[in-house]
Amino acid sequence: MHIVVCLKQVPRDNSVKIRPDLTIDAEGIEKIINLFDEYALEEGIRWNEQHGGKVTALSIGTSDWVEQLRRALAMGATDALLLSDPAFTQLDPIAAARVAAAAIRKLGDVDLVITGRNSTDDESGAFAPALARLLGWPQVTYVGKVLELQPGGMLKVERHLESVIETVSCRLPAVMSVIKDINEPRYPSLLKIKRVAKVEPPVWTAADLGLNATDLTPTAQLVERVPPPPRPKGEIIDGPDAATKVRKLVDKLLEYQVI
Amino acid sequence: MNGVLVVLEAVGDDLAAISRELLGKGRQLADALGGSLAALAIGPTKAIAARAGNFGADQVYTIDAPALRQYTTDGYVAAAIAAVKAFQPALILAGTSFQMRDFGAALATDLGAGLVVDATDIQVVDGVIQATRPSHGGNVINTYRFAAGTTVVALVRKQSFPEAVAQPDRSAPITELTVAELTPRTEVLSVAPKAGAVNLTDAAIIVTGGRGLGNKENYYRLIPPLAEALGGAYGASRAIVDDGWVPYEHQVGQTGKTVSPKLYIAAGVSGAIQHLAGMRTSRTIVAINKDPEAPIFRIATLGVVGDVNEILPLLTEEIKARLNR
Ligand SMILES: Cc1cc2nc3c(=O)[nH]c(=O)nc-3n(C[C@H](O)[C@H](O)[C@H](O)COP(=O)(O)OP(=O)(O)OC[C@H]3O[C@@H](n4cnc5c(N)ncnc54)[C@H](O)[C@@H]3O)c2cc1C
Ligand SMILES: Nc1ncnc2c1ncn2[C@@H]1O[C@H](COP(=O)(O)O)[C@@H](O)[C@H]1O
Repeated sequence: MHIVVCLKQVPRDNSVKIRPDLTIDAEGIEKIINLFDEYALEEGIRWNEQHGGKVTALSIGTSDWVEQLRRALAMGATDALLLSDPAFTQLDPIAAARVAAAAIRKLGDVDLVITGRNSTDDESGAFAPALARLLGWPQVTYVGKVLELQPGGMLKVERHLESVIETVSCRLPAVMSVIKDINEPRYPSLLKIKRVAKVEPPVWTAADLGLNATDLTPTAQLVERVPPPPRPKGEIIDGPDAATKVRKLVDKLLEYQVI
Repeated sequence: MNGVLVVLEAVGDDLAAISRELLGKGRQLADALGGSLAALAIGPTKAIAARAGNFGADQVYTIDAPALRQYTTDGYVAAAIAAVKAFQPALILAGTSFQMRDFGAALATDLGAGLVVDATDIQVVDGVIQATRPSHGGNVINTYRFAAGTTVVALVRKQSFPEAVAQPDRSAPITELTVAELTPRTEVLSVAPKAGAVNLTDAAIIVTGGRGLGNKENYYRLIPPLAEALGGAYGASRAIVDDGWVPYEHQVGQTGKTVSPKLYIAAGVSGAIQHLAGMRTSRTIVAINKDPEAPIFRIATLGVVGDVNEILPLLTEEIKARLNR
């Protein structure tokens, strides 16, 4: 069984700046594996431990990202694959899915793709559905529990939605996105980190994937990118003692008509 | 190709609030585009189809089949494509629930359409559709302009637009559409209510506690009672979710829920950027923290410097007394 896990590179926090050309400046902020993708990876590794085969950590990113792919290998992925090309720097989620779909087709033998529920920088959650449609595979998103995964057979999961849990099944191959409830990701051992320290994952470019400029062009043009409007200046509530402060606070809340 | 199509959602046997918002905004956008406004009721929402006319739709499509009784990506996308064929919209509007995200991105991909998820504004500028959406935990506000002639699928964040006002004597013709041979590849085996589900996203008032509460017992002694006195829900920072005090369902922030209540009270929360990502658009923010330098005070509307152990019990009593609860 071959499971592909999609890992996105994101800034550890979102205190990013905006450059005059409207690109995002995340200089000085550590790049990490998107938090939800660690859960995707853990799930892939667990099922691989049960069924055998391969778990490929796949990422569209820059070459300095290899380090985090090695971390995925140290956690238990059997393979890593970097999709990297200057043409991949400004992808929208559907174009990113097109790149991943081309790679998954090229791999050929993939049974299941696992992604995180969303990235913490772009936050669209559009990648997994787009990927499924492009591959022509069924999708199960927001999965909080995998109930069954039979190689070459069925996938049965719980989708954890806002107020209900849906139990859904489909045949493989399929695309699945996961939420935090699904597992507890492991830490890679030092020994394993050392063992993979020199691994150079293969890098596939747009040309290797047979993608041209139109496949990668975003459908929309970014015309404005600004920080959020500043919040009105706040007020510190003073008083000789806690009881006075609390009374004044409640006065204000009533005045603002929020309680 | 200049109309607007709203995908309806139901709550019981009424239109969901988001659908009324979308019909209101959709009406305005359709006028700006010089087209008409249509609504689509898929499966069980057929019962509320007629309501869309009251709220401004010019035309309503319904589509029902045994396979559409429950949400599946394949079923809903096929239904939407049937409506797109019939109506040829320039813009398709839906909400941003998990189900609609699953659906909207799949639909846009199949249609080769433009997609915007979590839109907080949509405009027509020089006849062309533009959409605004936050990213990076609300630290970046992006506006995109779609190429003229591309269909756009826009998933709209709740409470971005005022709800349309009902016009009881207004109605719209209803056309029933069909889909041929629908066999969704996913099968819904059961749908069960989530035990202990907290709908933080819909709460008008949220009281959140952080590590400053000291321990789990203190959190439950001080936070839920205040939330209850206010008729609100209770939230948590990631620090205390990770420490196992409170279930993940309650987490607010970059990797938890994004909320925008009219009142957000943060007690013993430092205000880390990842926390702010989930609550910075709340209307009124109250911060209670013993450290006057805590970053939470920088975005608070009202701040109280003090010990949560002292402030919170007094606040709960004061609220109960003043609100007669
Ligand atoms: C990738 C990533 C994602 C993250 N996602 C999230 C997320 O979704 N949500 C989130 O919340 N965090 C998130 N975090 C964590 C975030 O960075 C902070 O660590 C976390 O929010 C801190 O929680 P806290 O404010 O409860 O605790 P602390 O930062 O420890 O703050 C406790 C506060 O309580 C005050 N205090 C202490 N005692 C008292 C008292 N007796 N009375 C009054 N005040 C007191 C202190 O002055 C302090 O300000 C994320 C971090 C990373 C790296
Ligand atoms: N550039 C990328 N490389 C690899 N995986 C990605 C990339 N972008 C998105 N994904 C995957 O898609 C999920 C959802 O991302 P998004 O659609 O951006 O919210 C992420 O959690 C990843 O698993």
